[in-house]
Formats: sequence, C-alpha cells, structure tokens
Amino acid sequence: MSLVSAAPSEYTAPGVEEFWQPLFGTDGPWAITRPMFLIVISVGLIIWYLLATTRKKALVPSRGQMATEAVYGLVRNGIAKDLIGSKEFMRFVPLLFSLFMIILVNNFFGVMPPFSYPTMSRIGFPIALSLIVWVVFHVVGMKKHGFFGYWKSLVPSGLPKGMILPIFFLELITDLFTRPVTLALRLFGNMFAGHILIVLFITGGWYMLTNGGILVIAGGVTWVFALVMTLFELLVEFLQAYVFTLLAALYIGGAIADEH
Amino acid sequence: MQASFVFAEGGEEGFWATAAPIIPHPLEFFFGLATFALLYFVVKAKVVPRLEQIYAERTAAIEGGMNKAEEAQAQAQAALEQYQAQLVEARAEASRIREDAKAQGAQIIAEMREQAAADASRITETAHKQIEAERQQAVVSLRGDVGRMSTELASRIVGESLEDEARQRGIVERFLAELESGDVVREKVGDA
Amino acid sequence: MTGNIAILGYGLSAIGPGIGVGLIFAAYINGVARQPEARGMLQPIAFLGMAITEALAIFGIALAFVFKA
Repeated sequence: MSLVSAAPSEYTAPGVEEFWQPLFGTDGPWAITRPMFLIVISVGLIIWYLLATTRKKALVPSRGQMATEAVYGLVRNGIAKDLIGSKEFMRFVPLLFSLFMIILVNNFFGVMPPFSYPTMSRIGFPIALSLIVWVVFHVVGMKKHGFFGYWKSLVPSGLPKGMILPIFFLELITDLFTRPVTLALRLFGNMFAGHILIVLFITGGWYMLTNGGILVIAGGVTWVFALVMTLFELLVEFLQAYVFTLLAALYIGGAIADEH
Repeated sequence: MQASFVFAEGGEEGFWATAAPIIPHPLEFFFGLATFALLYFVVKAKVVPRLEQIYAERTAAIEGGMNKAEEAQAQAQAALEQYQAQLVEARAEASRIREDAKAQGAQIIAEMREQAAADASRITETAHKQIEAERQQAVVSLRGDVGRMSTELASRIVGESLEDEARQRGIVERFLAELESGDVVREKVGDA
Repeated sequence: MTGNIAILGYGLSAIGPGIGVGLIFAAYINGVARQPEARGMLQPIAFLGMAITEALAIFGIALAFVFKA
C-alpha cells in the first residue's frame, strides 16, 4: 500500500487496495469509508450551490445562475425532452437532473486536489443509482401499460410466431439484468480504470524520479503524461455523467413509449 | 495522493482491502441511496420548481417583448401605409390640377383664337365696307363729273345749251347704262 | 513474467465491443452529417446500440475481477 514510503528498490503497481480507505470504525462491511464522506460533501455542495444560485430567480441571470441553468437546460431539453417525449418528461426531470449532478460532481472529485478520489469507483454507489433507475423505469412502465401489458410490450408486434418466445426472453434478460448491470458497471469501470491509470502514472513517475539515473527523464515524461491523462479524465468524467443520465432517460422513455 | 496514503495506513488489511472491486460495500451502497434520496427531494421540491419558474417567466418576457416588437412593427407599417396613401392622393391631386390647367389653357387659347378670328373678320369687313362706300362715293362723284363734263363738252360742240335738267339727266343716264352694258358702238360724231 | 491471465481475457473481450462501438458511432456521424435534422431520431438509437454493444466489454471487466481471485 505505502508505495511512496516503501524502499525504492522495488516498484509495486497500484491495485485494488488503493480504493479501500476506511476512515474510522471497523474494517468490515459497516466501516465509514472515504467515499462516503465524499458523497456527503458532494451532496451538500450541490444542494448549497443549486439553492444559492436559484434563490434570486433573476430573469437576467448572474454567472452562477447561468451555469446552473446551462446544466439544467442540458438535462431538461437535451436529454429528458428529446428521449422521453415532450408530454411526460417533466415528471422525470428532477430525477435525471439529480442523477447528472451527483455523478458529475463526484466524478470531478476524482481529479480535484483536496478530494482526489472518484466516489463512483466504489461499486456500491453506481449500483445504488442504477437500482433507482431500474426500479423507476420498470414501475412507470407497469403503471402505464399494466403489469402484464408491460411484459407484453417488450416484444415488438408483427413478429412471426416462432420468434416471439426467444425475443421475449432476450428482452427480459436485457431489461432485468443487462441494463442495470451495465449502467452501474460502465460508470464504475470508467472511474476505476481512469483513477488507477492516473495513480499508476504518478507513482510510477515518482519511483523513476527517486531511483535516479537515466530513469529521471522517463519519470518527468511520465508526470507530463499524468497531467495529460488528468485532462483526458476530466472529459471522461463529464461524458460518463452524460451517458448515465442519457441512458436512464432512454430506458424510462422506452418503458413508457406506446410502441416498445 | 499523500493524503490517501495517510488515510489508508490507518486500516488493517482485511477482506475489503483486497476484495474484488465489483463486490459492493453494503454501507457505501446505503450511503449512496440515502444521499441521492436527499438530493432528489431537495431538487424536486426546490430547485426544479424555481428553475421552471425562471424558464416560464423568461419565456413570457421574451414573448411579451416579441409582442411589443410586433406591435411596433404593425404601427410602423400602418404609418407607412398612411403616408403612402397620402402620397398617392397628393400625386393624383397634382396630376388633376395639371390636367385642369392644361384644359383651361387650351380653352383660353381657343377662346383667344376665336376672338382674334372674329376681330380679324370684323376688321376685314369694316375695311370692305369702307372700301365699298368709298368706291360708291367715287362712282357717284365720277358719274356726276363725267355727266357734267360731257354735257358741257357736247353743248359747246352743239352750241346749244343742254341745260334742261330733265333731258340732260336722261341722256347721261342712258349713255352710262349703254356704256356699262357694252351696247355702245363707236360712231363718228359727224355721222350722227 | 508474472501476471493475471484474467486481464488478458478482458483485453480480448474488449476488442469486439471496441470495433462495434466504433461502427455504431461512425454510422451515427454519417447519418447526422447527411441529414442533420435526423439527429434527434438517431441519437437514442445510437446510444442504445452503444449501451448494448458495450455491455460485453463491461461484463469482461467484471468477470476479469471475479476470476482474478
């Protein structure tokens, strides 16, 4: 674990244990860990920011309000309205906006110096968010089409008789299993891999710098690459928040669509 | 990075440190649910209504502004049309006045011409009459003179006075009439 | 040389989805370039296709961790 302080003779690549950072309590399943702390901070920050920038309700917005409105407009018009349809999308805007904000801010924590830890690289959080989306899109679909009607709507009409059963099972697996699992794992995988990559570049560069010799130059280059990777990571972090929200809207829109 | 190592060194290496990262930590999962629920309710209760209100107000303001602009445009259009109508009217009036003037001018010219013609004919006529009168006068005086001179000439030749008024008049008149009609033939006075 | 063969498996499982996602977005970009007004209709299809295709790579990374132990 203690890569930096370890004897410089041998380099160990960062691994899974990099992400296990209990703050206090036990080391077991009920330990309070660092990402928990981070997500509480992020939610506090988001709530404070959103309330502070929308308090005035100015028609000519301040800079903060403009930023909030830009993000809100992206989620409201760019995602919800386009993918759910202009009739019913307003019901889901709070959900999608909350999802986008919490994922975006927690992802940005991954490269922000005082935090430097992407909360979503702990699978528990993406699973929680995906579970909410999963429950929501099944429930609204069943409300709209009825319990049996919803399952029936999974199969597109006009299929030959022999195809109905295989397609039904395929759609069932997709809806019940693939969609939520991939939704959670995509977010987790991107954050986990991106963070481990940055840690690898930085610790590897540090190892080379401290071990001297010709490796010092390589170490410097590695640190430059770490910076580049950090910038790339910023893009990925935004993109993942966007894709997660987009897919959530897509699944909800598909569940309440008249034609499945 | 430094901070994370400090944090990490506090915990002993247990199951969770080396567990596969796709095994969810239960408390983290519940934290995720709880914090997201909190965020969701705040967003739903406060943030989205506020933002929607801003949206609606802004849309209304923009629409109001557009209505105002449309109104102004309509007014401008109306004013323009009015001006154009007035311009057309003025043009029509100007051309009418011009036509009138032309017609009046023509009339005046015609009248003048007529008057001039009348004047000319009147003058001509007067001149004719005068000439006629003068001729008549000349004829009368000439006739008197010719009569008197011929009588006197004849009486001298004849030696006898032809003073008798009545005869004299008759002879002269007859002679002049024959002269005018061309019946007179030259004859020797001695032969008569 | 030491290491974990599960990571090799993940690398193999990422090839197909990588090509697949590339093809999907190539087609999407083509479509939008030809008909920019069709963007709204193509976008959900493209992202749904991406989600389904990428699922294989995502299962790959999950299984790589599962079989690592």
